[in-house]
Amino acid sequence: MSRLLLISALRHLHRHPWQSWLSILGIALGVAVIVGVDLANQSARQAFLLSAESLTGKATHQIIGGPAGIPEDLYRELRIEQGLRQAAPIVEGLVKLGAENLQLIGVDPLAEENFRHLSGELAADAARRLFLEPASVLLSSITASRLGVAADDNLTVTIAGREVTLQVVDLLEGDNPAVLEGLLLADISTAQELLDSPGRLDRIDLILQPGQAERLADTLPPGLHLEVPASRTRVMMEMIDAFQINLAAMSLLAMLVGAFLIYNTMTFSVLRRRQLLATLRLLGVTRQALFRLLLLEAALMGLVGAGAGLVLGIFTAQYLVELVTRTINDLYFVLTVKQLIIQPVVLLKGFLVGVGVTLLAALAPAIEAAGTVPVSALRRSQLEQRVHRGLPWVGLLGIAALLLGWLLIAVSGNSLLAGFSGLFLIISGYSLLVPPGVALLSRLSNRTGKRRGLLVRFALRGIGANLSRTGLSIASLSVAVAATLGVSIMISSFRATVADWLAYTLRSDIYVSAVSSRASSSDATLLPETRQRIQALPEVAETSTGRRVTIQSRHGPVDLLVLDFASNTHEGFKFLEPPLADLWAGYQRGELLLTSEPYAYRHGLRTGDPIILDTLEGPLSLTIGGVFYDYGSDQGLIGLPASAYTRYWGDAAFATVGVILQPGVEPAAATSAIRQALEGFDQDLRIRSNREIRDYSIGIFDRTFAITQVLRLLAVGVAFIGVLSALMALQLERTREQAVLRATGFTPGQLSRLTLLQTSLMGLYAGLFSLPLGWLMSEVLIEVINRRAFGWSITTQLPVNAVFEALLLAVVAALLAGLYPAWRMSRVSPALALREE
Amino acid sequence: MPRFAWFIVLILLLSGCGNPAPETEQFQVAEALGGASDAGFARATNPREFLFPQDHGPHPEFRNEWWYLTGNLHAEDGRDFAYQATLFRIALQPEPIDSPSAWRSNQIWMGHAALSDLQAGKHTAFERFARQGAGLAGAESLPLRVWLEDWQLQQAGGTGVWKLQIPTEEFDLRLELKPASPIILQGDNGLSQKSRTPGNASYYYSIPRLTANGALSYRGETLRVNGQSWLDREWSTSALGPDQQGWDWFSLQLNDGRNLMFYQLRRKDGSVDPLSAGSLSDERGLRQHLRPEMIRLTPLKYWVSGNRRYPIEWRLELEGEPHPWRVSTRLADQEMRLSVTYWEGAVEVRQESSGDLLGKGYLEMTGYD
Amino acid sequence: MQRLAVDISNLSRSYREGNRSHPVIRNAEMQIQAGECVALLGRSGSGKSTLLNLIAGIDRPDSGEISIDGERITQLKEPALTLFRRRQIGFVYQFFNLIPTLTTRENIALPLELNNCSIATMPKKVAQMLEAVNLTERGDAYPDQLSGGEQQRVAIARALVHRPALVLADEPTGNLDQAAGENALDLMIALAREEQSSLLLVTHSLTVAQRADRILTLQQGQLSEQGAELAW
Repeated sequence: MSRLLLISALRHLHRHPWQSWLSILGIALGVAVIVGVDLANQSARQAFLLSAESLTGKATHQIIGGPAGIPEDLYRELRIEQGLRQAAPIVEGLVKLGAENLQLIGVDPLAEENFRHLSGELAADAARRLFLEPASVLLSSITASRLGVAADDNLTVTIAGREVTLQVVDLLEGDNPAVLEGLLLADISTAQELLDSPGRLDRIDLILQPGQAERLADTLPPGLHLEVPASRTRVMMEMIDAFQINLAAMSLLAMLVGAFLIYNTMTFSVLRRRQLLATLRLLGVTRQALFRLLLLEAALMGLVGAGAGLVLGIFTAQYLVELVTRTINDLYFVLTVKQLIIQPVVLLKGFLVGVGVTLLAALAPAIEAAGTVPVSALRRSQLEQRVHRGLPWVGLLGIAALLLGWLLIAVSGNSLLAGFSGLFLIISGYSLLVPPGVALLSRLSNRTGKRRGLLVRFALRGIGANLSRTGLSIASLSVAVAATLGVSIMISSFRATVADWLAYTLRSDIYVSAVSSRASSSDATLLPETRQRIQALPEVAETSTGRRVTIQSRHGPVDLLVLDFASNTHEGFKFLEPPLADLWAGYQRGELLLTSEPYAYRHGLRTGDPIILDTLEGPLSLTIGGVFYDYGSDQGLIGLPASAYTRYWGDAAFATVGVILQPGVEPAAATSAIRQALEGFDQDLRIRSNREIRDYSIGIFDRTFAITQVLRLLAVGVAFIGVLSALMALQLERTREQAVLRATGFTPGQLSRLTLLQTSLMGLYAGLFSLPLGWLMSEVLIEVINRRAFGWSITTQLPVNAVFEALLLAVVAALLAGLYPAWRMSRVSPALALREE
Repeated sequence: MPRFAWFIVLILLLSGCGNPAPETEQFQVAEALGGASDAGFARATNPREFLFPQDHGPHPEFRNEWWYLTGNLHAEDGRDFAYQATLFRIALQPEPIDSPSAWRSNQIWMGHAALSDLQAGKHTAFERFARQGAGLAGAESLPLRVWLEDWQLQQAGGTGVWKLQIPTEEFDLRLELKPASPIILQGDNGLSQKSRTPGNASYYYSIPRLTANGALSYRGETLRVNGQSWLDREWSTSALGPDQQGWDWFSLQLNDGRNLMFYQLRRKDGSVDPLSAGSLSDERGLRQHLRPEMIRLTPLKYWVSGNRRYPIEWRLELEGEPHPWRVSTRLADQEMRLSVTYWEGAVEVRQESSGDLLGKGYLEMTGYD
Repeated sequence: MQRLAVDISNLSRSYREGNRSHPVIRNAEMQIQAGECVALLGRSGSGKSTLLNLIAGIDRPDSGEISIDGERITQLKEPALTLFRRRQIGFVYQFFNLIPTLTTRENIALPLELNNCSIATMPKKVAQMLEAVNLTERGDAYPDQLSGGEQQRVAIARALVHRPALVLADEPTGNLDQAAGENALDLMIALAREEQSSLLLVTHSLTVAQRADRILTLQQGQLSEQGAELAW
């Protein structure tokens, strides 16, 4: 590469700082979003993996209990009678400290030596105190310093609704403090006392020799499972996969918009320099050299932008990691990630994506530049003619990409990745259709515009006549606006669907539920008398009971929804396809079961298919009587009547009592009556009205989508910068033309108005073009992405205000983008502008 | 090195107890454990009335207690083995704790077991810990049963025969131990003074000779073994002044029927603590208390392990005995490299001049760091 | 015996306009001796620019041969053609076509650098050229800081600095006032002679054409060598 060529390119960038810096900012934002999301995702995964790993330790296997846990006698039997000395008992539970969940882990320090390495050096008497003192715990030092807790301090927490004061006897240092974040370590006896689960273990960790596992698995009592920790970890990771892929894809959307921006800028920079490039070609600069030069320019912007993006990304991640963690906590499992784990590989990935996308986006302009004919006489009008001649091809290419995207989605089955690839193809294809669309539109509007004023005619014609630039800008803007529109339609449709589902699925007026201290939340149950007491109240018409239990099956954990119906409970189910004719009778007899839509989708099941469940009596095959809509668990549920569950799993407990009130009874009055009736029972419970549960659920929904909204806003930000830079470039590039207008007698005011009119017209065009794409995107997001990721179907609702918002966004962005050029236009003296070549 | 770091603290706590006269380290740990004072624990201040078989069982009101078995065994195929099996009880506080959890306990158990394969010259040692509770470890009297997981010492009801089972990762030793001598109360009728401070003493009795019969599974074969064993029982809440360095403890079973126990407490200045003591007994019972001036011990040969230099061969001159004895071992490396490192191994007693084999026994040496 | 700098034989070029083929150059023949200065006279639309483009290797003839300094450029393909142009042809244009982001000095140095001239000799050659076009003082100025005449002098220096076999000048005075135009023309012809480069001067001005050794006229695609008086 010639030194002077390089210098000339650098000076070019320097002479057009607005364009250069806006592009760099766009790249930086795109990279920041990608890196931010990736870091947040990876930090959450890493935190999970690390803590899973450090909590699993060297265990090769784990015995996992059912809802009732593992009787601790089994541990003694394994260790003493069966001689499995490499065994460690674990008791786990949740402790609430304010709004935060801490994980309480009870271990037997004397059995730990072969398994874990959790703490560093402890204060001398800490071990002794852990053994002897009730409520004595170790808190991870990193959590302690965050909470402002020191060794020997008291820590008042809530466990299963009870307030308990813990003694922090010392702080856990550990080799990697991040692993211990949110962890309370206690002696196993303390954990059993605190969690009120004497006699019960949650897990037994084992180090088994080859061959031992099979033998052990065969001799385990029913209801207990022997698992490989890695597979258990994997199952949990898979739970959050879909959620994280969605986030990553949303971040790619921002980058896609960023790519348009770069394409835009580079194309402009090529167009503006066509004279210069032609001269260089004349002087003997080869096509390849020009191609390289342009790519080098792009790479330079890419490098600076991506570098800045990394820094921005780390800041973004600090914020996103909280949102990600909160969602995982709300929806999946308890995870404490307070520390961002900055993995170099994530940064490298983001950096490469930034530079790579920049280069890719600059490829077409660079090819265009390399193809510059070394004749200086190529006129602008000829260029526009060429662009117009190419339009049908661009259109065809667009249609091909759309079809390809559609095809990819159609044939890819359940693949989420293919779904997203299809979505991106559709977006790209559609964006190619925009310039031909603009040409068509401007031809139409030229015809109708004839009767309008001079300024309008000028503005309209300007758009069509400069299609090489306007088409591009409008395409970028419409993709950006469509992205925000599509996501917004998806979210609001989803929200409406969930609200609707909550409304019909919650059939009772009041719900009384047990408060859980377990991560799995399936253990807290109510005393059997609770239901009778409530039923006996005069305010109460009917009661039902419910419980969600995780049972282990050969295919991993399965969530059961165990219900004892009231007379209207069945109205709470709506089915995808007509259920079996004798559904409710067969269901109550325990011959038929129900599955939620996500469960059926995930396992490829339909009404009438059999499901095999592992019961205490051995495997049991039941037929699916119906597949019901459910948005409570993306892992899916299996619905069973309480009688069947009790029969097969020997467990009659329930966690929730649904209360249907007598007509005319106020929920508030009934709540206090229930509370009174249950007074004196030693149990922790929560009484909530139908309305409260609905609000609570919608609250979780909104929290879940908070991060999506943030990403959407960031994409809008990138889009806005793109539009700003594209339109500004367009207007600045036409300085000369406008100077001619000035010279011919346009007043500065008229010129400013012309500029603003033109940009807002372009905004309007973009807004209009974004509507079909936005709808298309929402359809793909709803019908393909959400279905593949979570297995549920959402009813599309087209929110009118979202459409207006999209149009408004487009026009306002365009208008803002026109402000600076308009202001400049009105200031520059025509003579000076004319002289500028 | 144990991985779990609080475990180390625990080891420190336990380390002092691994030996018959361990008060030094125990004291330090007791202090380290935040002034876990002796307060509340029973102390050995006066001679007491021993009652058997009840006193074979636990005395949880004292801080430490152990059941300590050593012995030389002869296998049916002619090979010689020796073993050590010890169960230690350590109370973290005197009062038991009331809790719904079976795991809550004030008692912790430690076990040490070792096998010396004297022909092959191989010594292996194992260590276990468990809390008392949840069925993992504990002690019961009447009938006596002391166990730490699957290591167990029990007395078959009423017969006076002891049963020991020590399965480990490398060997599995199961013995029936029939007392061949009466119970010997050491010290002042079982009160064994360990320092000048009153109460820094233990209750200490031995059965110096038990006939052992049983099976040893080792390296893929199960061998019938027989031989003689020695049982030491001791419980205390004692702590000592800081001037002691370690001890050399001899338990010798002579072919003429006599049994000799002697522990020599070494002070930091190299001198022998006047509280060193022992006993000479035979199948009829105690013959004589041994005071330090009645025995002269001279190290003759050393074995070095790291920075530790153990005298593994001794001249033992006993008052009234015409010829000095030579106490030596066939296996130099019988070092117990566990949470506490010490030397505990099988020895032979020969007449120094003639080289005639007079008997066998066990030697324990600590404080050679 | 002097070698031919330009040797054109039987050259034809036509463009399609709709369905009709419109011939621009018809069977042109032309020879230019090394060091010779030839003017190509013709009205607007006579095909001057097309001929120029063909000689520069920017456009391809339908038939015929063009040899420059013995190289048959009609046989050359990209990028050999570009490399040949870089080495053997210099350009001077009506609109100067300087690189706006390079200084005077850098603009002149560009052909040298493209031709891999050694770093050591480059500054000297550029300085000589600057002096030759009387712009020593303006070496660090950017094109937009120069007057039209100055810009054209930079263009002339750039066209000749690497001693090409042929300099193509397309209406070099067209955008300059008379004094500046003459000054530029004088410089160009003198320098071309000095560097022993042939010069093809394309113009519609007889006055300019008369400065050349020889005048060729182009009328309706046909090239003829005749007295200027006859042509005009």
